[in-house]
Amino acid sequence: MSSTTERGFGQPDWVSGRTLGLIMFAGVLAIVMALASPSFLTADTFYSQSRYIAFYVLVALSQAICLAVGDMNLAVGAVGSISTVAFGLLVSPNHANLSPWVAVPLVFLIGPLTGLMHGLVITRLKIDAFIVTLSMMFVYMGLRSGISGGNAYTVPQSFWWLGQGGLGWMPYMVVIVLVMLCGVSVLYGRTVLGRWLIATGTNPIATQFSGIDTRRMVVIAHAISGCFAVLAAIFWASQSGNAAPQTGDDWLIISFAVAIIGGTGLKGNLISPFGILMGAIIFKLIQHALVILKVNDNYSNTLLGGLILLAIIVDRARERFGNQSNATG
Amino acid sequence: MTAKPMTRNNILLLATLGVIVSALGGIKFWQSRHAASALEPIVLYEPLPHPYCNAVGDGAKAYAKEHGVGVRVVVGQESTMANLNQNIESLYTVGHKAFAFIPVDPAGAKGLFTRLKNGGRFAVAYGAQPAEGSDTPFAIATDTQSAATLAAEKLCELMGRKGKVLNVLESLTDANTPIRKRAIEEVVAKYPEVQIIQTVGDVTTEQKAREKIESALVARGDEVDAVICTGYTTTVAAATLLAEHNRKPGAKRIRFVGLDTDERVLAAIREGGVDMTLAQNPFGHGYISCALLDLQLQGWRPKRAYQFVDAGCVPVTQANVDAFQGGIESMTKTIVGELKTKYLEAPAK
Repeated sequence: MSSTTERGFGQPDWVSGRTLGLIMFAGVLAIVMALASPSFLTADTFYSQSRYIAFYVLVALSQAICLAVGDMNLAVGAVGSISTVAFGLLVSPNHANLSPWVAVPLVFLIGPLTGLMHGLVITRLKIDAFIVTLSMMFVYMGLRSGISGGNAYTVPQSFWWLGQGGLGWMPYMVVIVLVMLCGVSVLYGRTVLGRWLIATGTNPIATQFSGIDTRRMVVIAHAISGCFAVLAAIFWASQSGNAAPQTGDDWLIISFAVAIIGGTGLKGNLISPFGILMGAIIFKLIQHALVILKVNDNYSNTLLGGLILLAIIVDRARERFGNQSNATG
Repeated sequence: MTAKPMTRNNILLLATLGVIVSALGGIKFWQSRHAASALEPIVLYEPLPHPYCNAVGDGAKAYAKEHGVGVRVVVGQESTMANLNQNIESLYTVGHKAFAFIPVDPAGAKGLFTRLKNGGRFAVAYGAQPAEGSDTPFAIATDTQSAATLAAEKLCELMGRKGKVLNVLESLTDANTPIRKRAIEEVVAKYPEVQIIQTVGDVTTEQKAREKIESALVARGDEVDAVICTGYTTTVAAATLLAEHNRKPGAKRIRFVGLDTDERVLAAIREGGVDMTLAQNPFGHGYISCALLDLQLQGWRPKRAYQFVDAGCVPVTQANVDAFQGGIESMTKTIVGELKTKYLEAPAK
């Protein structure tokens, strides 16, 4: 008997087989860590670590949305960095000293504007996204160093609530990011625009012949990507209590790692918001595990990279095994 | 109308969630009935594998060994506030009681210090001063301003208070960099015949430092009379480069003052290739940090809301290149001997 799983609109599965594999992997990791450390299953751990997971989700979404249209965005961290400097200049008591309620919408504009610029250069001048976003990454990083001179800006304590506060044991960041994930899920699963974005990543030529303006889809994807990068920067400024120019320096690896673990196709056509959430959970669990299990710190990056690769191999193997079973079942 | 049967995926999902929740619940139940194993009370956190950090870690381990106190030395993956935040928060959730770490970004660490204090943990900063108003009572470090001023003064002396200086800064995102730059410029401004001919920076690796210094020297020809470096990587790159240059027959000797004591820098000084470096006290940073945390865990309390403990620095020249370590060790002993009188108050009886 063949599998009852259907794909596409109206699929009866609550989560895809790929995401189910991620849930299993995360579950095993959580059980191992709970056995290794009595401090793992505590409210403190949940509160502290869930905020990082929420942050990783935003950074990964910024990359995944570009990957889904067959592009990539190497300037994710640099957009975050320049947004942080702009936010710092606007809210710092030593500079513009604006209210965060005014500064946040102003800074937020950087996201769609930079994305729009990337998208237009990529589509109108027909330059590869890799080159455009790599070049712009250097442009933004130079600007942030030049403007800030390396100095961090103080974020007023009145704005710390967003990144540090919560509704009881649930951080605000987590609530907001969960709502956003639902929004992204609806965008890709229930709207025409979402299907066009996926179609552009799946087969741009066929999509174009279907009358869809794929160039516009690429521009839209980059604009949305910029929005998530700026949101991540704003959340991070609030969580850390300051706006440091080096914000974003390590986002590139996070954005790819979490998006790919979460099942986003490197060559487009596949994006799973819930998978990205699971990817962020796994990424954070692995990092937390290195601390809890007292892994020799000098090798922690090696282990982190190895475990991420293992997670992806297990996931792909499970998928292949599942497909063979279905085919022969 | 009949209900559709559940798909295989959904059944597996429910089973998986059931197993995970049951397993975690069971583990929590078991743990609540069994005492947890002992945990090191103190964590000394190094932001990344680096010779300075290794020496700080050696100081912490030495304190642990000499005083029988549990100290866990943890090394991060990179010197960013994001990495520091997430690692320290992970360690916080594990249950350690006291933390020493470099405020990689002094203003950015403010929130972290507050979270640790609110969570009932002790924290001290080492290697750099935190931002004003941070919730930490101590910073154990080289006085950045004084060290850069001393380096610049020594360089001006070597130049005979006349000539052109190439100022090589390190990472522009390091909070100490603007302080060093300002200190050097203030010293140079005192001497009308000394001029900073060029400032290069945004350097984080030896390779990049060497490239930038070499480019500046080539571009400026014989104009450069002296080079000052106030970072570890830049000092190593400049010392090796200038030692090569100064050894060339007929080459104009370019004066040099650097910071930190990598073996290659010491070798260049020993052989007369370069003039001077400033030795910091990283061993003392680790040792004194652990001593302060240990005493606070024993009930000693800071005398003031914030105190800077200057761990000192020593100029190293050809004359004392093989003997300066003794001076640094005695400095650490003196500071530790003063902790209970100068910086702390005895526990209430």
